[in-house]
Amino acid sequence: MALLEARGLGRTFGGLKAVAGLDLAVEQGEILGLIGPNGAGKTTVFNLVTGFVRPTAGEILFEGRSVVGLRPHAVVARGITRTFQVVKPFPGLSVLENVTVAAFPRHPRRRDAEDRAREALGRMGLLGKERTLASQLTLIEQKRLEVARALATGPRLVLLDEPMGGLNASEVDVASGIVSSLRAAGITVILVEHVMKAIMRISDRVVVLHHGEKIAEGPPAKVVQDAGVIAAYFGTAGRQAS
Amino acid sequence: MRRALPWLGLGAAAVAVPLVVRNPFFLHLCILVAMWTLLGAAWNVLGGFAGQVSFGHASLFGIGAYVTIMLYLKAGIAPWWGIPVSGAAAAVVSLPIGLLTFRLRGPYFSLSTLAVAELVRLVALNWESVTNGPVGFLITDLPPVRILGRAVNWEAKEPFYLTIAVLAVAGLASTAWLRRSRLGAYLAAIREDEDAAEAVGVDTVRAKVLTLALSAFLAGCGGGFYAFYFRYVDPDAVLAITLSMEMVFIAMVGGLGTVGGPLIGAVFLIAIGETVRARFEVGHLIFYGLFMMLVIRFMPEGIWGRARRLLQRRAAAGAAAPGGLDGAA
Repeated sequence: MALLEARGLGRTFGGLKAVAGLDLAVEQGEILGLIGPNGAGKTTVFNLVTGFVRPTAGEILFEGRSVVGLRPHAVVARGITRTFQVVKPFPGLSVLENVTVAAFPRHPRRRDAEDRAREALGRMGLLGKERTLASQLTLIEQKRLEVARALATGPRLVLLDEPMGGLNASEVDVASGIVSSLRAAGITVILVEHVMKAIMRISDRVVVLHHGEKIAEGPPAKVVQDAGVIAAYFGTAGRQAS
Repeated sequence: MRRALPWLGLGAAAVAVPLVVRNPFFLHLCILVAMWTLLGAAWNVLGGFAGQVSFGHASLFGIGAYVTIMLYLKAGIAPWWGIPVSGAAAAVVSLPIGLLTFRLRGPYFSLSTLAVAELVRLVALNWESVTNGPVGFLITDLPPVRILGRAVNWEAKEPFYLTIAVLAVAGLASTAWLRRSRLGAYLAAIREDEDAAEAVGVDTVRAKVLTLALSAFLAGCGGGFYAFYFRYVDPDAVLAITLSMEMVFIAMVGGLGTVGGPLIGAVFLIAIGETVRARFEVGHLIFYGLFMMLVIRFMPEGIWGRARRLLQRRAAAGAAAPGGLDGAA
């Protein structure tokens, strides 16, 4: 049984079909890359799975149970957590407090929650910055903070929304290593990313969205050669010729 | 236990004030300061800690005042028992209000609190069979009480001062406890970014509703005390929008989201308000407004917030002072 399964998932905003008839399955321990041009519906898929937006059609099962209709915090309690495309730290709180908040729902005692937070910060290389205000971190540190916060919730599935956006080449390498390390810790990952080099290297499987629909799926090396995918990103050769 | 010590100290100091302040007018001012400290703390829990700005806290205060005075006049329940009942009543009333208004965020929430407050005021004004409408209620005699064999003199200020001093210190202590608690961490997260708070597993609606209930309990107790001390309750006295604003001002001037802020805010605003009122019969509110503008312009973090930051900077400058950032406040 797949860890996460979406069947016929759809969402319309007014007349716009942001996502339509999407079937998606993610296996335990997998890193799934979700790619597509701007406006393809990638972030909407994240919003649907994590309860920020309700689907207008279809079903989402996590470990065999529906998560449709749950509020985001309840989805987190089931074991799904996310990061945001534009980082959302709690800017006025310290790094430690940022992550402690995320550990609190599962660890009601402050000492336990802080221990869990330090562990997550350690995995993201942020120990030693506990007292720094989140607003004073660099962008890559804020992205790591956001992953640490996601880890502190004790997830089974993490949805990362462009964790490498705005990073330079060497930072992308570091971020790729972090994503791989999540799998090593037994956490399944869905990754939305535009940095193709990273997607190709770390994804086990890639799903390509275009206008809210799935147009290709498979191992990364195969998907990049798919004619439909190339057309979606660059326009069709036929149209350009005429 | 170590955390409780400063509060016991503050409580002892507060209770000792009447030994020093003999003048009834000054003691009256101390009563006002303590009452507004409690109300500022009530507002600050929601507005400062959770960032949910309410313009309607007068409704919770007013409900508390009506409950205490009506329990006494209609059921003979002494006001000092009425005060906690007032707090509980305001908390209960706040639950449906919270569940309705917390669907809205930011300015929409704030405007809806204003609407709820106006609704409560109009109900009190027009439901004459229950509330006596604009006439309100008046307590002519308080019940005789003997403490340690001596009859309590209800014409003196001391019994009232002691009541509100204990309430105010307990109110501040409860906000200090809240700040360290799990709920307090959730509120800080909600204040900083509500979506991110949900995304890390915080039930934001539940946290806000619980906090509103605590805030309402404190405001309701304040209203109950008002009825006990002033012995007169009508819609203009306890449900006016100016009361809601006063709570906002006190929390802001003192320092949003700080534990000590409401006390500092109440001291400054009551002192300035009464001083200029005594000097200038007309237009004293101009000075009050001017003071507000100066604080907002030059100390947006409030007097207590600014003082704490200066202390921290000094502690940081004084070589390595690793314990400085959290602050006891």
